[in-house]
Amino acid sequence: MKNKLKQIYEHKYKVLLIIPFLLLVLALVQIAVQTSITGDFVNKGISLKGGSTITIEDSSINIVELENVLREKFQNADFSVRTITSAGSVVGIAIDSDAQNSEQIDVLVSALKEEVDLEKLEYSVEVMGSSLGKSFFKQTFLALIIAFVLMGVVVLIYFRTIVPSMAVILAAFSDIVVTLAIFNLTGMKLSTAGIAAFLMLIGYSVDTDILLSSRLLKRKEGSVMHRVYGAMQTGLTMSTTTLVAIFVALIFVQSEVVKQIMIILFIGLLVDLVMTWIQNVGILRLYLERKKK
Amino acid sequence: MNTRLKELLTNWRVITLVIFLIFALISIQPQIFGNDGVTIRSVEANSSAELAGLQNPSAKLTPLAKEKIISINGETVKTEDDYYRLTDNLKPNRTLRIETDDGFYNLITKETNGIVNVGLKVYPAPTSNMKKGLDLEGGTRVLLKPAEKISEDNLDLTISNLKERLNVYGLSDVVVRSASDLAGDDFILVEIAGVTEGEVKDLLAKQGKFEAKISNETVFFGGKKDITYVCRSADCSGINPQRGCSKIGDGYTCSFFFAITLSGEAADRQAQLTDKLTVLSEEGGSGYLSDDLILYLDDKEVDSLRIGAELKGRATTDIQISGSGSGIDQPDAVNDALQNMKRLQTIIITGSLPVKLEVVKMDTISPSLGKEFLSNIVLVGILAILSVVTVVLIRYRKIKIVMPMVFTIVSEMVLILGFASLVGWNLDLAAIAGIIIVAGTGVDHLIVITDEILKGEVISDWKKRIKNAMFIVFGAYLTTLAGMLPLWFAGAGLLKGFAFTTIVGISFGVLIARPAYAAIIELLLNE
Repeated sequence: MKNKLKQIYEHKYKVLLIIPFLLLVLALVQIAVQTSITGDFVNKGISLKGGSTITIEDSSINIVELENVLREKFQNADFSVRTITSAGSVVGIAIDSDAQNSEQIDVLVSALKEEVDLEKLEYSVEVMGSSLGKSFFKQTFLALIIAFVLMGVVVLIYFRTIVPSMAVILAAFSDIVVTLAIFNLTGMKLSTAGIAAFLMLIGYSVDTDILLSSRLLKRKEGSVMHRVYGAMQTGLTMSTTTLVAIFVALIFVQSEVVKQIMIILFIGLLVDLVMTWIQNVGILRLYLERKKK
Repeated sequence: MNTRLKELLTNWRVITLVIFLIFALISIQPQIFGNDGVTIRSVEANSSAELAGLQNPSAKLTPLAKEKIISINGETVKTEDDYYRLTDNLKPNRTLRIETDDGFYNLITKETNGIVNVGLKVYPAPTSNMKKGLDLEGGTRVLLKPAEKISEDNLDLTISNLKERLNVYGLSDVVVRSASDLAGDDFILVEIAGVTEGEVKDLLAKQGKFEAKISNETVFFGGKKDITYVCRSADCSGINPQRGCSKIGDGYTCSFFFAITLSGEAADRQAQLTDKLTVLSEEGGSGYLSDDLILYLDDKEVDSLRIGAELKGRATTDIQISGSGSGIDQPDAVNDALQNMKRLQTIIITGSLPVKLEVVKMDTISPSLGKEFLSNIVLVGILAILSVVTVVLIRYRKIKIVMPMVFTIVSEMVLILGFASLVGWNLDLAAIAGIIIVAGTGVDHLIVITDEILKGEVISDWKKRIKNAMFIVFGAYLTTLAGMLPLWFAGAGLLKGFAFTTIVGISFGVLIARPAYAAIIELLLNE
């Protein structure tokens, strides 16, 4: 079995290249479909699209309990429950949620009524807009495009060959797009911290790709496959340590926001394995073969 | 072994890392045994605390340098609860003796609206110099209501204007967003970390209509249309050297000045208006025009400037704006003047808000990430490091490799936190995300270095092995840097913070900590 896989990996690498490109195309289709149905390329959470704040003036509510109850009732919603203090003592709570229209808010308020006696207490509801300006996504996309161009230039100067440089950039790009599509399929809602997680993928993806390109292009010892396996041993150790650390973090972390960062990184690192060891290896081997001729 | 230890401690890469680590610890100043007492967040104007001489802490002070209350009436204050127990239910016209780390203050309690309030806002004393952001520490939440119904465009303009105002003021951790209640009324919701409520009120609720008039006709308004440049550097702004400070009555008054550049249009208006004025000649020779240039802020006169006779009918674009501040003693007055200057500059730069805002509600809100967040994150961090250690140990089976690795990763985190404390960067979610990526890529690079050194195979030359390793590490570093720089310059808010922490962190890692690791590994493994 192991030998057979090795055989396929070593000799059928051109056929294997279909996998990463198919993934990339499928991901782009998912994002396109998502955009046409919901009008947004990703499910945006409260910090990205706004929501509402319900303020209740009562000092006796246990916010941890309340948050857990709400989270159980509305599994795909985005919540945070905070206390309001005055002169050192709690005077009320504020529930931020992504409920934006009055129907959603009504559902939330009636759910709250089961937990808290809203009839007696004073409460108010305010609908908030996004904390990010309208131009935020435009700006981020522009910055990302410039970032990819700059990264391309740096890799080009570093290795002085066009194809391998483009391969590094393509791998990072594919990694982000495929991870975004998978994230969308989970139904989770993206927070601003989630955006940071996607950007972190650039760093992780670049690490393994530069390692691979350096070993394949700059070293002379052994055959190409020998060097691929050498790089893979290092690369897999890198990915394993990170994946194990993230896995442990996912089990123990309490904060939903950090959990989301970890989930995105976890998906992204798995996708990166395909993008580095099938896509990038395939492209580099094709390139080295052409160069020989 | 001893010679090897000696070699290790004299290696310049290791020495550099150790020196940087010491600096980082000095800047963080972790209070390992905790920090008793409550730190003063703000002092209310005209309250008994202010009258006794307590002052609003300057935003520039590091967290540990802010004034801390140690005891009240001889009773030690250890926690926030102690403080509220000792200041609750006070009777008016009594003396309250407050001891801070700076000295003693005797407050005379007084009653306002039936409540005795000393006028202090406090929080538990910080345990290090790291500033915590809104997500981690909570802050002040202000709900503002426009005085009249405004269009959506104007609401957006007001929000971006407010953001800019708060940013010029040096508050990086600010959330400004639109809000509406179910009746359809518009509001603006602002959340700010660690500022005094008075400052916020001053800055947010003031419309900031700045006008300069000659004989009751407007010459120019605040904002980019009329004023193309506002000087904020030391050579053309600050305490006015000609007028300086003077003692007036019980206190001191200082005047400030700063230069601005008018647009051509505004300069022409000034020329037309001054042309109508007559020259009053003074005994000294140089004369002044019959009317002054009067500056108004929100329709209140802030200052009047005499206009030199030679400016009659001339379109000058360079103008000097001045104003003043006062205080009990001279340093206090200088501070007040500079603060007024900064506020005026902010208003002139950002222009006035399209509408007047009223403060509807103002309260202190707990952090969105919860109190347990930080301790949980630290626990998760330790567990993550342990799991990394396990994987690395299984792979290399050498404690000699694992120990330096852990040391390097921890050093990198200390370096980032030290730098953050030094520049006063808020520790928030963005910073935490940045630290995660620095640690993650850090482990990656250490594995690359280890593998290149262990598997030097055909290469017997150690220098060459390390060179090979650093080639890969530098390639990855430069590429990640290229990816983060645009985000730093173009990104907003969170992304800017994330890019900044990442750039700083990986730079410390690649330039200082990781080379030291290579040196340590080389010495430990080179039999």
